[in-house]
Amino acid sequence: MAKYELDDSGVVVIIGSGAGGGTLAHELTKRGVEVVLLEAGKHLTADDFVNDEWGGYEMLSWLDKRTSSGNWRVAKDFPVNPSWACQVVGGTTTHWSGCCYRFIEDEMRALSVYGEIAGASLIDWPITLAEIEPYYDLAEAKMGVTRTNGLPGLPANNNFKVMYAGAKALGLNVSTGRHAINSEPYDGRPATTQDGFTITGDKVGSRWSTLNVELPRALATGKLDLRPQSRAVFIEHDDAGKASGVVYVDAAGVRHRQKARAVVLAGNCVESSRLLLHSASGRYSNGFANGHGNVGRYYLRHLIQTVWSVFDKPVYMHRGEIMGGMIDDFVRHDPSRGYAGGYYIEMNSMGLPTTAAFMDPGWWGRDFASVIEQYANMAGIFMSGEDMPQAGNRVTLTDELDAYGVPVANIHYDDHPNDTIMRIEGYKTLVAIHKAAGAKRSVEAPAYPASHNLGSNRMSAKAEDGVLDGNGRAHEVSNLFIADGSSFATGGACNPTLTIVALAIRQADFMAKQMAAGEL
Amino acid sequence: MSITAHKDPKMPAPVELPDGPEWVNSLTVFDAHVAETLVVAARTLYPHEILPDTVYRRTIFQFDKMAHMAQTAAQSFAEFVDLLDSAMPLTFRELSESYRLTALRGIEGTTAFRLVQRSTVRFLYDDVEVWQAFGYEGASVQLGGYVNRGFNDLDWLPEPPAGI
Repeated sequence: MAKYELDDSGVVVIIGSGAGGGTLAHELTKRGVEVVLLEAGKHLTADDFVNDEWGGYEMLSWLDKRTSSGNWRVAKDFPVNPSWACQVVGGTTTHWSGCCYRFIEDEMRALSVYGEIAGASLIDWPITLAEIEPYYDLAEAKMGVTRTNGLPGLPANNNFKVMYAGAKALGLNVSTGRHAINSEPYDGRPATTQDGFTITGDKVGSRWSTLNVELPRALATGKLDLRPQSRAVFIEHDDAGKASGVVYVDAAGVRHRQKARAVVLAGNCVESSRLLLHSASGRYSNGFANGHGNVGRYYLRHLIQTVWSVFDKPVYMHRGEIMGGMIDDFVRHDPSRGYAGGYYIEMNSMGLPTTAAFMDPGWWGRDFASVIEQYANMAGIFMSGEDMPQAGNRVTLTDELDAYGVPVANIHYDDHPNDTIMRIEGYKTLVAIHKAAGAKRSVEAPAYPASHNLGSNRMSAKAEDGVLDGNGRAHEVSNLFIADGSSFATGGACNPTLTIVALAIRQADFMAKQMAAGEL
Repeated sequence: MSITAHKDPKMPAPVELPDGPEWVNSLTVFDAHVAETLVVAARTLYPHEILPDTVYRRTIFQFDKMAHMAQTAAQSFAEFVDLLDSAMPLTFRELSESYRLTALRGIEGTTAFRLVQRSTVRFLYDDVEVWQAFGYEGASVQLGGYVNRGFNDLDWLPEPPAGI
């Protein structure tokens, strides 16, 4: 591994080692760029991971306090942990369930296609689908996405058989979908053993993560200095207003200042926005790169919800890959449905501990008990839909300081009427699918802490509409970039990781070219 | 069809508590009345006839650990018991089920109730004996996953076509 000096101002400093930061670190070092990667969490290995839902949650999650406000149900159910991401080398790619779907053209031009919607602040992406497509191809190849590059889909498991039967009865287009999980050995990684614990780290390593693919390869270039347990707390700038370094705290609590040629934030929505807001100065009095007040705004979290249904006979939904099912009939924007945007239907499985915890937090009594007792006979089905960007839905700083002296973030989110309509229609569809497969009872579970955190530092063609340009570079600071989902101009409907990876590869191309041209 | 539930070998082994009333001697913060009241409350919140008291006691054992680690939690558990005991002319433990439900509903909005209710879910359904009872098999990687152990053995619905 490379070791760079703290005063080496030739390095690119990336904050966060997940889908965006970890991929970018590999793609830059591959191109010869010297990178310091700061990761707040520990460097764990497959050996450390457990097949245990709460054990894995406590090992991997970002558990620092946040606060929440707004009328979203999450603020009531999970007031101090409204968002769910990981704090570990590999970031949330140690936890994700591998779904890999692409944005569609409608979603990239949300304002043009959906039109102005009262209360929403839609924009078109500053880049086109055609510009991302070559990078989607590269991302799918590196991640080994099933049903691309000749790789077969994941095999149908028990939970999928339920989804399939219901979907077929309703005439819907159903498959096991596309995942960055090996259905057969690929790229040195084994095929899935269907252990059902991809979200607690993946001990087997059949699923792509930056921990098991990108970072080892980045380290092998000799250009990466990976610093785990290094918590970025402030981004500094020089007299010209350009990013000049990052202050971070190491595992021993010692503060360091790493100089930088360019700084990339990839700490997931909440942390990236929080760090920018906190990094205020005389020149950037509202926070770094926040001259238009858009840092933290237009926070998105997707319309995510699950229906759990009880059947007469055993399903054992915990057996096998947890999200291996997909229906795409409701993805395209279709105004005749009564709402803008669309949603994916996906399979969902959880073990008993988290099914009980997330089915309806706060629900107790004989009725709940009678449902959860039938866990063996339960199946799960899920949706991920596009939520509306709203100016008031945002990450802000509170007056409370964390252990590092950085203000605790608040996440405010109010549901837009379009969101509510899509949720209702989605529940009806999910329940109908399970009913058609013979469900005797279906429970409409609310959203759990947001795991698709998007949009709070969005790309925009015009500086006044967002924070970043189409390369994920701050409109106001030419050597400041963002490589996580907070850059999304709008949320689309699909699980975001594939797009984050594709954008990171594209960003690496852009940055390397800028450097070669002496412009960065 | 029978299943066998497994805890990941790297996770702590389940706590073993004595069968009799002396189980409360395993606790560090709660006295016998607080502990037994919490057991009754946990069973009233999440009543599963097929589960023995032992599993509810193990949940309360975890509460005791929480109380040991955080004074605020200790206060909330104590307050929870006080609230329930003062809800009716008899202590909560002496109430019939319908009165227990009434007492619990009466404090549903309190922080103490929320802590007890959420923590019961957190620990009760994380107990391997409960997993076994409800058909959740738990850790599987040490057995090679489910690829050869029934991940697709559901046979009461039509088989999807290969490659779907």
